[in-house]
Amino acid sequence: MKKDNFVSRFVSKPGRMQILTVLIGFIVLCIVFGIINPKFFSSRNISNLLRQIAPVLLIGIAQSFVMITGNIDLSIGSVVGMSTMISATLMTKGFNPWVAALFSMVSCLIVGFLNGFLVSGCKLPPFIATLGTMTICRGIAQIVNGNYNTGAINIIEKTASSVDKFRNFFYYGKFLGIYNGVWIALVLFFVFSFVLNHTKMGRHLYASGSNSEAARLSGISILKVTIFAYMVSAACSCIVGITQTCSAGMGAMDAGNSYEMYGVAAGVIGGVSTLGGTGRLTGTLVGASIWAVLQNGLQFANAPVAIRNIIIGVIVIVAVLLDVVVRSGKSKIKKLNKNKE
Amino acid sequence: MKKILVITLVLCTVLCSVFAGGSKGKAESKTYSIHLITMDTMDQHWQSCWQGAQDAGKELGVEVIFNSPDVKDDNKQIECINNSVARGADAILLAANAEDAPVAALKEADKNGVKILYVDSPANFDTLRLFATDNAAAGKKVGERLLKELSATGVTSGKIGIIGVNKATESCNARERGFREAFEGKGYTLLETQYCDGDSTRAKEIADNFISQGCVAVFGSNEGSTVGAGNAAKEAHAAGVKVLSCGADASGTNKQLIKDGGLLCIMGQDPYQMGYQGVKAAVDLLNGVDMGGYKYVDTGVNIIEKSNVDQY
Repeated sequence: MKKDNFVSRFVSKPGRMQILTVLIGFIVLCIVFGIINPKFFSSRNISNLLRQIAPVLLIGIAQSFVMITGNIDLSIGSVVGMSTMISATLMTKGFNPWVAALFSMVSCLIVGFLNGFLVSGCKLPPFIATLGTMTICRGIAQIVNGNYNTGAINIIEKTASSVDKFRNFFYYGKFLGIYNGVWIALVLFFVFSFVLNHTKMGRHLYASGSNSEAARLSGISILKVTIFAYMVSAACSCIVGITQTCSAGMGAMDAGNSYEMYGVAAGVIGGVSTLGGTGRLTGTLVGASIWAVLQNGLQFANAPVAIRNIIIGVIVIVAVLLDVVVRSGKSKIKKLNKNKE
Repeated sequence: MKKILVITLVLCTVLCSVFAGGSKGKAESKTYSIHLITMDTMDQHWQSCWQGAQDAGKELGVEVIFNSPDVKDDNKQIECINNSVARGADAILLAANAEDAPVAALKEADKNGVKILYVDSPANFDTLRLFATDNAAAGKKVGERLLKELSATGVTSGKIGIIGVNKATESCNARERGFREAFEGKGYTLLETQYCDGDSTRAKEIADNFISQGCVAVFGSNEGSTVGAGNAAKEAHAAGVKVLSCGADASGTNKQLIKDGGLLCIMGQDPYQMGYQGVKAAVDLLNGVDMGGYKYVDTGVNIIEKSNVDQY
């Protein structure tokens, strides 16, 4: 009886029901993959899997922030590519990797600011505004190294050792047995969860997403909130880009291609509504985990790529459908209860 | 408002006549315009091809234009072909992304009198020359080198993972076929090919997953997938896991990975020769030299490994 109360109390908060269902789905998936190929649960794969979740989580956080304000950010993938190319190109030119990373972070934040300004300040539909910046950023990614992928980033002797350290910091190194990339993603996850759940800015983000007119009338600066959301998105994308530079040891111009959609998938599977106002980063974490586990587990099951794509697509739809069904079910129950009264 | 319209119209007319005059002048002096259309602009492979084409262009005094899509995409490549025809190309050197997709565009180009030759990968449209690596043979060569290394280290069975670009990129598929052929009946299990869309980070993840499954070797069929395979193997070596990796495309990053011990070997193609000989043949063709029917020119392939990487 007491347990029932706990569960119903947990579920009563908005968005948690879906997180719970998806979490159960996640566990089932893991068990199924483990049965198909027991090596799925090897310690080596678990640590790799965690590292594969990290970029999807960051992209998910990026897209979730923007979706919570009721907008969408199509430029995420291109910002990842831009960040990769700017940092890698500067490193091949002998810049200290941290300086290179700072350069790319500043450039990405400018894009984030621009996105927010175009959407909220100039009242462009977010789909159009970020479609524009998406192509612009991809263009910048292509132009920084003269329309070619870069060579190896540790090519210059003077900076080779600092580049290797930098690569370990973002990707190859481990702390307490877990890859650094996972820690970085987790720290950002907790920071941004805190911002969403416990700060004024967080409340304003939800408010402007659920009813921007009401939020504006109650004195919230929608412009400020929107710019903030897009800048968070750009910052997360930038980190993913830098991680990709570190992972590959080079800059690829088409890095991050269609990542914005992974972000939408991670958020939506985890219960973030594309209409704004609802969603939690915990959900995004579960959504990102499902996404990465599918990619990983289906490879372990030796499934052909076509099958994998179909399964992933079906799961995205089912996850959202489940939410819709649960919600309409709930409102029906509420109606019934009201009728009884 | 009307004034602005009039001024714009006048400007347009003037500009048009200037450009039209320009192209007419060119035609009179018989400077051929040869367009090189590769699969994308990213890989250093195409950079070398473009360099070879440029050098031949300078030697022969013809204009060489690089007009390639930014990513490997059939439709984007078709658009490039159409654009080149519209821009007045005399000849197109094409590295076809897919065998069938560009055929209609090539027919249209041919109708407009544009000569077509292939570099790297042909399409299903008849032309007189193809300058390319025999990709299947090259893949087989890499497979045989890997097989030698595996048996030398006492690994006579086990799983081998393959990372491809996507299902439509024929040159990479041919490499994969050749690679698989080298292992036929040798007691190894070749797993289902996984595709990374040329994304080296995705390729690294795929390679990590292969290694976690206990694969004894990983093969990448293009630059990005090879970078991923090499980085994953290098990391696994550091953790004490025995795995070999090999692949294609001699980019700077891949050569570095050979030096670091991440990659065992890569197939070294000669894209420079593809571009260089391609432009030369195009000029011959435009000058009416008898080409003597279709000919496939193998530009050769070398196995690049630690012992000889500095020569490349």
